[in-house]
Amino acid sequence: MLSEYLVAWLCLAYFVALAPFAPGFASLDNLRTILAYLLPILVVSVGLTLVLILGGIDLSVTSMIALASVVGGKIMSGEEGWLAGHALAVPVGIVAMLGTGVLLGAVNGLAVTVGRIPAFIATLTTMMFVSGLAIWVTLSRKIGGLPDGFLVLGQRLWVAVGIAGGAAWVAHAGLSRTLYGKWLYAIGHNVRAARVSGVPVGWVTFGTYVVSGGFAGLAAILFTAVLETGNPEMARDNLLDVVGAVVIGGTSLYGGKGTIVGTVFGVLFLALVDNSLNLLGLSFYSIMMVKGGVILAAALVDTTRNRWRGGAR
Amino acid sequence: MTAPVGRSLGLLLLNQASLVLFAGVVLTFGLMSPAFLQPANASNILIQPASTGILAVGMTFVLLTAGVDLSVGAIMFVAAAVGGKLILGGWPFGGVLAVMILIGVLYGAMNAWFITQFAILAFVVTLATRYFGRGLGLRITETRAMNLPESFYELGAARVLGVPLPILVFALIVVVAHVVLTRTPFGRQVYAVGADVEAARKAGVRTRAVLFAVYVICGFCAAAAGMVALSQAPAVSPTFGNNREFMAIAAAVLGGTSLFGGRGAVFPGTVLGAVLIQTIENGLTILNVNSYLYPLITSGVIFIAVLLDATRCRVLAHVNRRKIFVETGS
Amino acid sequence: MTPALRFRGITKSFFGVKVLQEVSFVVPGGQTVGIVGENGAGKSTLMNILGGNLQPDDGEMEFDGQRYAPASPGDARRAGIAFVHQELNLFGNLAIAENLFLGGFPWRARWLPWIHRRRIHERARQWLAEVNLPHAPDTLVERLSAGERQLVEIAKALAGDARLIILDEPTTSLTAVEAERLFAILGRLRQRGISLIYISHSLGDVLRLCDQVVVLRDGAVVAQAPARELTVERIVAWMVGREISQLFPPRTGQPTDRVLLDVAGVTQPGVVKRVSFQLRAGEILGLSGLMGAGRSELARILFGLDPCAAGDVRLGGESLRGQPPRERIRRGLALVTEDRRWDGLCAEATIGDNLTLVALPNLTRSPLAWVDRAAAGQAVQRIREAVRLTPAARDEQPVKTLSGGNQQKVVLAKWLLNEPQVFILDEPTRGIDVGARYEIYRLIQELAARGAGVLMISSEIEELIGLCDRILVMRRGEIRDCIEPAAFDRERILRAALHEEVGV
Repeated sequence: MLSEYLVAWLCLAYFVALAPFAPGFASLDNLRTILAYLLPILVVSVGLTLVLILGGIDLSVTSMIALASVVGGKIMSGEEGWLAGHALAVPVGIVAMLGTGVLLGAVNGLAVTVGRIPAFIATLTTMMFVSGLAIWVTLSRKIGGLPDGFLVLGQRLWVAVGIAGGAAWVAHAGLSRTLYGKWLYAIGHNVRAARVSGVPVGWVTFGTYVVSGGFAGLAAILFTAVLETGNPEMARDNLLDVVGAVVIGGTSLYGGKGTIVGTVFGVLFLALVDNSLNLLGLSFYSIMMVKGGVILAAALVDTTRNRWRGGAR
Repeated sequence: MTAPVGRSLGLLLLNQASLVLFAGVVLTFGLMSPAFLQPANASNILIQPASTGILAVGMTFVLLTAGVDLSVGAIMFVAAAVGGKLILGGWPFGGVLAVMILIGVLYGAMNAWFITQFAILAFVVTLATRYFGRGLGLRITETRAMNLPESFYELGAARVLGVPLPILVFALIVVVAHVVLTRTPFGRQVYAVGADVEAARKAGVRTRAVLFAVYVICGFCAAAAGMVALSQAPAVSPTFGNNREFMAIAAAVLGGTSLFGGRGAVFPGTVLGAVLIQTIENGLTILNVNSYLYPLITSGVIFIAVLLDATRCRVLAHVNRRKIFVETGS
Repeated sequence: MTPALRFRGITKSFFGVKVLQEVSFVVPGGQTVGIVGENGAGKSTLMNILGGNLQPDDGEMEFDGQRYAPASPGDARRAGIAFVHQELNLFGNLAIAENLFLGGFPWRARWLPWIHRRRIHERARQWLAEVNLPHAPDTLVERLSAGERQLVEIAKALAGDARLIILDEPTTSLTAVEAERLFAILGRLRQRGISLIYISHSLGDVLRLCDQVVVLRDGAVVAQAPARELTVERIVAWMVGREISQLFPPRTGQPTDRVLLDVAGVTQPGVVKRVSFQLRAGEILGLSGLMGAGRSELARILFGLDPCAAGDVRLGGESLRGQPPRERIRRGLALVTEDRRWDGLCAEATIGDNLTLVALPNLTRSPLAWVDRAAAGQAVQRIREAVRLTPAARDEQPVKTLSGGNQQKVVLAKWLLNEPQVFILDEPTRGIDVGARYEIYRLIQELAARGAGVLMISSEIEELIGLCDRILVMRRGEIRDCIEPAAFDRERILRAALHEEVGV
């Protein structure tokens, strides 16, 4: 929706404008906090960006995070995990969390390609089912006692930055430099023309939902490590954050348009708003209201800009 | 058209996918528990979907124009929160009712204004106002559950001519919505706008006014749904109305309304969808199923229904494909 | 008779570019006026001004002796001016009667916004009879054929009390029979004293139907004359601003004996039946037939986009049975589809991305490997020059900003990059103006000269006669005739295409 660099400037302007007012906004500690909470959202937003470029949508990503978090907890927890205390607990847990995302992504992909169900409704039902599953498995309790070897991902910021940055870079490179990326944009622009031109539409679509699921699994790993629990309600209220960030970052809901760089800045922008309002002492419900206003304002800026640029149109 | 009987029967079943599914669900529960088929429970099956159903009726208007309203749950919440405050503040019931409806209408008008005036996608606008509304509602209730007086509960149990009030309200809204959609110029123009906005404008339809109206109607229905929900469980919790928009969309889609606009109906479509969703929950309650399993089973059934619908569209497209010549002899 | 519609000095610019300058002419009451011109000559802008979609910068219109300045499509309709558009503005999900009255339903009573169903059905039935359409008013429009929808559009215009009806390319999606029926009805409208503006690329139809012809070029009226004094050649000369000595470039190559594409008994129930033919290297094979005879469907089957129940397609001796389009492309098949915007191009994407879409797999080892950007860039440059794409367009520009002719060159070029052996071209010159057509014809001949086989589907018989080495005629899903150059004859082709449908 917005051009990627406009959002970058918005981030900078917002930061500079708010820094004198919000106590500690510009402190190193605070920036670390922002980063720690931003990374999981970034990873899942990157996956969603790919799906939106394809012209689809994935409403189930945040519920996948919750389920993957629960799966990780069930395996790794020192208190109730299946592999409690085992040397392989952490690697198996991580693989299982990623696998959860990939598997659910594959379900979405099959529903959309083979079942030909519209993505909105297919991923909506997946969302209901998966979040229900996460809650049922844990009877809505959080799972604590995760091993230190896993929590290190949340405590050592550079590890998380490396993982999230690496994931974003892979997506960026894949999108801008590979055949897969070109195919993705082509399908988003005109799926019929892509099919006639020999693009394997079904496989690319399926693969993209799988990748989106995989990114959700990765986000769950980072999120679980930061919050230190396997939580069946993890990220439950973040779905609209994720969609909002991607859209602010310039990705079109109609497909064919968007970049990972834009998404990075979109996520950063929402994180800055969130954090600064917190520091200003606003209650979380006021923050929600402001965030709603921010998404709307961003959309307004964009349509107005397009109108100027488009002239008579 | 002299297709073999078996195939045309299959088509008929596919065409009525949600009805068939509904029958299947009722039959299954009926076989598993005789209590499910008792007359007393039949009225439950109709009362319980009233709130979701009303919400879904409003959503149907919006979906018919190829839009979406993600803020209906938030509207429900804001209206209920304000209404609850006023009731506890000793306002007369009629006044509270009027204020709640007014909130729904104004909220819908706000959505509509952004969507029509600035040409922003409905998905984005209502996503933003959904945040805004939930924040506002939490602020009003101070994030605490608000219990309303018992008199409210009596309202939910009240009967007019032997019909429970929630059913009556639901039925009234359905009838009015059905008539508006099928018999009035506005209703037919809603379908035209959903099929092709630009063509509708060229045909002399005031497309902006039509779009504006559907979001206002949706807001109105959301407030009404909030009222009916309060009359059934007189408390406003911080999660009141949360994610109800998804239930409403699911109900409309189950009833055959297309997300791409121009196709669908309030009656029987959306009503059937809402009743189907609620019947599953009702049956599970009677069977004493672990309540954690409700969302799993409900979404499972919705998934099957959606899959059936997608198959139906595909088969119908195949059957209705224009033939270049008619095969003779076979 | 008093003049019904008068344009006086209409001028309009977009972004400083004049698209209409001082357009003045008169549509006399009760007459039919044809407006012709190349794409971009300003026809659609003029009609948008007439319909109230655009406002002129200068000039004025007069309708029925009154000043006419529509601010919206509603104003035009109220003034009695109706449009029958190229892309029909009907709603498939509504009934015929509802489509007729969508803008202004009659109410049950003044205070009750309730549709008077009986009345709209009665009136709809009356208007449908007027256009000879024997359908019930509550039939959904999506169940009608393209020709029947056109008639509904005209009925809609009549129902709106139109005194001037504008027909914009009304015959492009009609079969010959349907077009005849349309012409007959237009004649009846004329008798009722309704003025018509008829816009078409099909100059023969224009001459046959119209009283007057107005020729637009570069936004200005270059000629207006009574139709009976005109010939197609003269109109074309006015349209392009010069005499076109040759409509078709001279042939440079000759077909060889080597069979490239061997189609044997291809059958799909209800679509095509026992279609067999051979396409040789260097040959341009025409495929004629009416709209809906199964030509495009055959193309899609040959390309693997639609299922094929029986028969075999061999490319260079190897069977393509069961292969997906991707594999057929790899083996050297190319398909230029009938509708560029629908499935030919990604209109929003850049020229560069469109050009490389088909051939990209050749430039990478796997879908996840790096694309060789330098090689891709070179390939784009090379192919742009080969098809003589307008140098003004940058590679990063969206393809939708190009003219129709240049868009079609992009489609041809994206296939050329893959160096295919066999081209299937479905209506490659549809919607392309006279000048750009010549270029497309030349490209097609170059393909053949280089040893490719070309299967060319076209509804314009002159085009096939001018270009092809042989012409196949398809009717109702079957190949009915194969005509050699010596026997090329417009009438014979038409007869084979129509046969029992009308007695030609």
